[in-house]
Amino acid sequence: MASIIDIKEECALQVRNFDFTYKGAPAPSLKKVTMPIAKNSVTALIGPSGCGKTTLLRSFNRMHDLYPGNKYEGEIEFEGRNILDPKEDLIHLRTKIGMIFQKPTAFPMSIFDNVAYGMRLQGIKNKTELNDRVEKALQDAALWKEVSDRLKNDANGLSGGQQQRLCIARAIAVEPEVLLFDEPTSALDPISTQGIEKLVIELKERVSIIIVTHNMQQAARVSDYTGFMYLGDLIELGHTEELFVTPKEKLTQEYITGKFG
Amino acid sequence: MTATQKRIIINKLALAFSTLSAVIALAFLFWILGVLVMKGVDALSWNIFIFEGSPPGYAESGLKHALVGQLILVGLATLIGVPLGIMAGTYLSEYGKNSKLAHTIRDISDIMMSAPSIVIGAFVYAVIVMPMGHFSAWAGAIALAIIMIPVILRTTDDMLQLVPGTLREAAFALGAPKYKVIIDIVYRGAKAGILTGVLLGIARVGGETAPLLFTSFNDNFFTTDLNEAMPSLTVTMFNYAISPYDDWQQLGWAAAFILSMFILGLNIVGRLILLAGKRK
Repeated sequence: MASIIDIKEECALQVRNFDFTYKGAPAPSLKKVTMPIAKNSVTALIGPSGCGKTTLLRSFNRMHDLYPGNKYEGEIEFEGRNILDPKEDLIHLRTKIGMIFQKPTAFPMSIFDNVAYGMRLQGIKNKTELNDRVEKALQDAALWKEVSDRLKNDANGLSGGQQQRLCIARAIAVEPEVLLFDEPTSALDPISTQGIEKLVIELKERVSIIIVTHNMQQAARVSDYTGFMYLGDLIELGHTEELFVTPKEKLTQEYITGKFG
Repeated sequence: MTATQKRIIINKLALAFSTLSAVIALAFLFWILGVLVMKGVDALSWNIFIFEGSPPGYAESGLKHALVGQLILVGLATLIGVPLGIMAGTYLSEYGKNSKLAHTIRDISDIMMSAPSIVIGAFVYAVIVMPMGHFSAWAGAIALAIIMIPVILRTTDDMLQLVPGTLREAAFALGAPKYKVIIDIVYRGAKAGILTGVLLGIARVGGETAPLLFTSFNDNFFTTDLNEAMPSLTVTMFNYAISPYDDWQQLGWAAAFILSMFILGLNIVGRLILLAGKRK
């Protein structure tokens, strides 16, 4: 019943027959999800609250493993291997697949140390290299101009939008292949939101992006592909324009025209 | 009288009674502090910090032995109790979470917090002093550490849990191993709270007398030997206060004053740190 387009380009991730069950839940929260994620493009996940879009997003970096008892079945292929394999090195995986959260998560340390954190975890100690890469990451996150004169200041002194861009800088500083955005603008004002959206579009030159949003306009503005989810099923995946203009599934049509959700 | 008038009168009476009760309760605190300051300041002199204990009647007698002993006992207890308390609190918040074991530890720790301190003194007497055959600073410090641990454990647990889970997730999402997340993110986020817990823990044991009676006992002379009985401000104060000699009683007041200021200071600093941490 689902209508999933065949992506001709190279894929960053390939989800096949993926089931996810939360600890103690009687039924899976994601049911037989199959979806390709195109490389160097933005894929948006939309759907009403509780449809499983965040659950799916958090499966890509195995975030659910932080809470014991959750169950994955099926396959998510990344760089030629199934990352759901229990033997997968999660620390390595998470350096390759980064994540930006709903609320900004600036660490209680300086702006510089925030951006350098991931690199230091990887054992980079060379000061010049750290300085260069921190500056580059901040520039790429469109934050350099605002903070270049106060890198030693506490990151919590930044505004919400700045903190979110700081988190993006922190994530891209370790040069991941994929970035996961979990409703990254839901806690931000319209101007900051605009900034983040612009950044998402620019970043796809270098990383593949999956973004969960409850805002359909945002999906339409930033994404190349959109997946519509409902009650744990992926109902439709298509080119964003096609999905919003000529949806193939009746449920998709009803959702994007505001009949429910 | 209308219903409204009646309500207003009842309201005023209730307000008056509760205010009065609060004033009476606080009055005792200030009364105690007032008496301490008056008697204590009177008894203070440089001699107190220069001379050790002496038989009654000597002019050259002081509290140096008890001050240094007190610092050694509390310092040693801090060295033992703080790491244990913080690590146990870390286990509860970061590893045990809502498991049965974690809840049991929290319950036991709460019970320990209200255990009579003299019982803990008796316990340490039985397991350390008796086998060793003599009183020692070690035994006193261990007794104080046992009292300190539950205080630090619970504040650490509570303060770590205040660090938002999303901050931990963000660190994990960058590929941080768990111990790094705890040290770099969780401890850093909760450092003001942990420090406050430590200071309150030290203040809690700083004024203990009962657990020292059977463990470090007391001594009227200066010593730094941890394997010997060691003088403390509290036990010295107790001994001097019940003595029939005027000059010893004066020294007792001085000890009471110094001890109270030390603990009051710790409490105030602890609260200030917490307040500064919250404002950020």
